[in-house]
Amino acid sequence: MIKINNLSKIFRTELIETHALKNIQLHVSEGEFVALTGPSGSGKSTLLNVLGTLEDFDSGDYLLDGQSVKGLSDKALSALRNEKIGFIFQGFNLIKDYSLFDNIELPLRYRGFNAAERKRRVEYALEQVGLAARRDYHPSQLSGGQQQRVAIARAIAGQPRILLADEPTGNLDSLMARQVMELLEQINQNGCTILMVTHDPEQARRAGRQVQIIDGQLSDAAMYDPLAHNNPLVKSSPVAVA
Amino acid sequence: MEQFLYYLRASLVSIRRAPLPYALTVFIMALGLGVFFANATFYYRLNADPLPHKSDKLFFPMMLLVPWECNDSTCKPPPVLSYANVQKLSSSDIPTAKAAMYSSDAYLRLDTKQPPLPVSLRITQRDFFRMFDVPVLHGSIWPDDSARNEVILTEALAEKLFGHSDVVGKTLLLDDKPLTVSAVLQNWQMLPRLYDANNRNYTNAVEQIYLPLETGYDMNYLSNSQSSTFDDTDYRQLATQGRTGALHQLQYWVQLDTPAQQQAYRDFMHNLATTEQTAGRHPAVINNQLTALRDIVTYFGGESGDIKAFALVTLLFLLVCLLNASHLSLNRYLSNQYELSLRRALGASRWQLQQQMLVDVLMLTLFSLAGALLIGFGGVQLMNYLWPANRLFAGWDLLLLSGLLVLAWLSSYLVTLYPSLRASFGALNQQLKE
Repeated sequence: MIKINNLSKIFRTELIETHALKNIQLHVSEGEFVALTGPSGSGKSTLLNVLGTLEDFDSGDYLLDGQSVKGLSDKALSALRNEKIGFIFQGFNLIKDYSLFDNIELPLRYRGFNAAERKRRVEYALEQVGLAARRDYHPSQLSGGQQQRVAIARAIAGQPRILLADEPTGNLDSLMARQVMELLEQINQNGCTILMVTHDPEQARRAGRQVQIIDGQLSDAAMYDPLAHNNPLVKSSPVAVA
Repeated sequence: MEQFLYYLRASLVSIRRAPLPYALTVFIMALGLGVFFANATFYYRLNADPLPHKSDKLFFPMMLLVPWECNDSTCKPPPVLSYANVQKLSSSDIPTAKAAMYSSDAYLRLDTKQPPLPVSLRITQRDFFRMFDVPVLHGSIWPDDSARNEVILTEALAEKLFGHSDVVGKTLLLDDKPLTVSAVLQNWQMLPRLYDANNRNYTNAVEQIYLPLETGYDMNYLSNSQSSTFDDTDYRQLATQGRTGALHQLQYWVQLDTPAQQQAYRDFMHNLATTEQTAGRHPAVINNQLTALRDIVTYFGGESGDIKAFALVTLLFLLVCLLNASHLSLNRYLSNQYELSLRRALGASRWQLQQQMLVDVLMLTLFSLAGALLIGFGGVQLMNYLWPANRLFAGWDLLLLSGLLVLAWLSSYLVTLYPSLRASFGALNQQLKE
């Protein structure tokens, strides 16, 4: 599903160069639930952004479904993000002036679905996250946990192959965080590949595989295939591997 | 259509987020466009071609036939001709049509019991109406150029005097001389009135009464615009002195439809000037001018310098307004950057964002156009007050309004272009964090 070979990313300013990612080598199979862990500033969010094509990279190769992402046009990248990738941001990133329905519908509009199809998908996604009755609410009328569930509904409405979650429970209390994690597990069990950045060891343990990044580098064995059970950094077996 | 409505709603939501900066942007745009448009109205009208299908076929012949030495380049032929010289020019059959004319004033009433009404006169010949496409509502134009006690009225004057327009055959008193109405002209206004271009007379309204040239001379009407003479004859007795003396007061127009006709007429004028010179009637170097209707204002140097200067000033003002509006627009887009980046992150291509921007442009165009029309209207009223001579040129037509619409669209696009490009490019991840 995801193959990254020798990928590097450097942030440059006038004075310094920061090697955010160094020769990353990572393979993720379809249906995996991978937790990206590591200390703050280690590069895990950068890696997630590169995977989501929100950030470019300097060298190496990134293949998504066998297709190299490097050099794709804006139109092709947009379509890739829209059709194959769902995003869950730490800060929810909902548009405050829009209703929940409108927020969830947004990526579907750029997909070219007709109104009936969009409505069907939005209502289904709202049901999945338990907010069907609040479709006309605005984000400010919801709790943080509910807002994150809306963000998840938006991410899954287009039935993406991959879900990228950047500390999805970072702004939530423990009860809400647990609910969100359960939701993600449920989505993963339905066959969606999930890569999640987290600081929380407990949540990381709930993922099928943990990948640790330190100073922009993956810990040795983490980069290899999920089925590498002898890898000491793989804390548990993957789930729902195709 | 559905997507267009969605973009429209997105645009309205974005306006609601920061209505004051948006209103300020619209106001600045409307002010710049409105002030420019008010001046452009006069500029456009004053420089319009009133007879585009024949403005290159109607010519104003002028000849330097003066009884003194005048051999340097500053000697220009006078813009008016004497009756005798007009007769000499009229002897040519080359023109398709020809008419001598001048303007004057008179008093008019229907009977001696009424108070006299001041009216403007154009004293002219039969071909004037054909050459300048004057529309006839009732009656017919004089069959020839001989003197006759007949007048032609405008529809407005007929309505004013008689209460209706079909007054052919009725009698009126022009300076107490009884004259019969032979025709009534449909309401018309040649803008600019180029048949009388010297001394900036072209900004005036067309005359109310038209009198045969010979009758005008018989009734001793002198020109009220421009006249000159080389002798000390008392030309108040125009009927007896005007046709033979040196009084120059006649404007003369000829219609020359083809280049061959034009060349032939130039040759005719040259031969005439040579003959006059040989006969000792003028010692000056031959200097003939045959100026086309469309060039006549330029020839007389009567272009409206104040309007031209104002056009430049208002254009600069518009540019300043656009720069300010662009700055406000940039701030607005940067404050919306997060949403635009989110849309890109969720799958909108740059082109799809540009489509949304185009709807923003449309909204800005409509709002600023409405404001510009209001401000433009106010500006036109102000200019009418400051320059009442140009009052006739204050009208708007479809072409002018379409021009404003295009200008408003272009301005809105320019104001939105840079901010929208800035908002569409850049590191998505960074923008989502901001």
